[in-house]
Amino acid sequence: MKDSFFRSMTWLHTWVGLLVCWLLYLIFFAGTLSFFRDEITLWNQPAIHNVQAQTQRIEAQKQQIITGFDYLANHGANSPSWRITLPEPRIPYLVYGYAKPKEPGQRRSQFKNTQLNPNTMQELEPFVDTKGGNFFYRLHFDLHYMDAITARWVICFASFFMLIAIISGVVIHKRIFKDMFSFRRNKGSRTWLDAHNLSSVLALPFHLMITYTGMITLIFMLFPYPAQTAYDNGMRGFFNDVTPRNTMTDKAKGESSMVPIQSILDQVYTKWPHADITRVQVNQPNMAASTITVLVSAGKTLRDQAPRLIFSGATGQMVAKTDDELTNSKALYESLNSMHTGRLATCLLRWLYVLGGIAGCVMIGSGCIMWAKRIRERTKNNAKPSFGLKLVEGLNLATIMGLPLATCAFFIANRLLNPTTAERADKEILAFFLTWLAVAVIALLKRDTLQWRVMAAINTVACLSVPVINALTTNGNIVSYLMHKQWALFTFDALFLLFSILFFIQTEKLRTAKNTSKIISPSQSNNLKRQKS
Amino acid sequence: MIDLLGFSLCLFGFNGFALAKFNHFKDVFKKRPTESQSKSLLFIAWISILLSLVLCVATQSGYGALIFCGFMSLSVLIIMVFYNFLVGYVKWFSVLNSVLVVLSGLFLALN
Repeated sequence: MKDSFFRSMTWLHTWVGLLVCWLLYLIFFAGTLSFFRDEITLWNQPAIHNVQAQTQRIEAQKQQIITGFDYLANHGANSPSWRITLPEPRIPYLVYGYAKPKEPGQRRSQFKNTQLNPNTMQELEPFVDTKGGNFFYRLHFDLHYMDAITARWVICFASFFMLIAIISGVVIHKRIFKDMFSFRRNKGSRTWLDAHNLSSVLALPFHLMITYTGMITLIFMLFPYPAQTAYDNGMRGFFNDVTPRNTMTDKAKGESSMVPIQSILDQVYTKWPHADITRVQVNQPNMAASTITVLVSAGKTLRDQAPRLIFSGATGQMVAKTDDELTNSKALYESLNSMHTGRLATCLLRWLYVLGGIAGCVMIGSGCIMWAKRIRERTKNNAKPSFGLKLVEGLNLATIMGLPLATCAFFIANRLLNPTTAERADKEILAFFLTWLAVAVIALLKRDTLQWRVMAAINTVACLSVPVINALTTNGNIVSYLMHKQWALFTFDALFLLFSILFFIQTEKLRTAKNTSKIISPSQSNNLKRQKS
Repeated sequence: MIDLLGFSLCLFGFNGFALAKFNHFKDVFKKRPTESQSKSLLFIAWISILLSLVLCVATQSGYGALIFCGFMSLSVLIIMVFYNFLVGYVKWFSVLNSVLVVLSGLFLALN
């Protein structure tokens, strides 16, 4: 413990932040990209680039569902489940899918999906196998190669450390309001401190909200004890209680014909006349225990679980539904969850979330660079840097410059891999991690200004390559996207060009910067002294 | 347009906070602010910020507070850029900001 409260808080802020900063950077980086997960998936699937959004989307839903039922009855009569996914403003295509029978050892059924253009009802070109934006979404809390539960515990601890770092940061930042708009250029570590303070303060409510609500999304894993105490079969009992389930006809045996889907839709539209249906799921079609679940969009309400009605497929009777009015505790949990995901946010709010996410990346990045810079400045010229300093510098370079490069590799792989390649989606992800690993190896071997400059130059080229390779391998390019008002695709390419310019500016700045991290050996130091004298 | 009014009010508020500070006022107007000038600027800034918050929450309900937080972040970023890199343009920027507040307010009032 330090001798004063302020020094204790400073110590806490430094170490709590430094221990997990690279993991937090990854979480913020991938989480920020996830706000555009549908747009990333759209870019990754050239087959849907030219699908126009429907002008009468909600009005067309009823007919799309009826057509879907006919299609699935003809193609998947013996399937254990059917799924109709309707177009949404950010996902412009229609999917009719049915589950293939499970193979031995398989946990979940594989779906045979047919994607359609909702304007023409024509089948779209075959989709390429890609995870798209879902990769970044899952990465920010599942860490991909790790066991999901272990990864979530790691993420929870990192978030907890982040929360402590934010609160202790506010305590130690004495001039939080005085220096609110100040940024002093070309002042060494003072400039880094200003960048750290500014990026923290300008999005402080966002940082607090996203960190706290992030922990809330995993609260039942972190703190399962109330549910375990209240329910005989623990968490399973709790989840069964809060999720609407068919308990009326689930024990029915034998086969049964399905009721016409029109009668189900009539009931849905009677309850919600302006329903924006997002999905229809059928479990055990043509069986007496079959259910038809209709999910609708929650609109702009702060609600994470989509409102749904569940009907018996055999009788058409409604067997379960979500609550119209949520209890206080459920409303609190749902609103905190939906605040974190921003799933129902408008385009403007989504961009504001991204701004907050970028500020978070700058805050974490500047914090870890500042620590290394200060220690480096304190290290005497002829002294060897410690292992800790070398490790921190290496991890800084690997994370801050490696992640953007790995992201470019992911998108370039998406365009260059053959569509028929086996396990193509996994290979895109492999390209991401191999690139990151390569940068990490280089960074741990050498991490001075030259390495930062080389990485910035490589990132410049990589960012530029993404829209160029896209133009060479698909029918569209940034100009055609602009001409045809395909804003999501245009913005995607334009952002890569913007980042290419930013990395180029960084390369040029580093060319003229002093190499502060260059290690001077004792003999070189003596030579310099001799030359001076 | 309602978003533009909410944002321009927020920006106006943070501009007021920045001008109420001795250093920033001196950088822009080449003289010290008087005590009453500082207090007036702070008062106007608070009113403007609160109006922006009320407008966001009243029109956007659930997500209004989040949009307001986003507006604050964007406003602080813009103000920081102007007061540190483009000090010479702060007067023009302040005029433009005021015009935006008035125009978007008038547009909403008339429609």
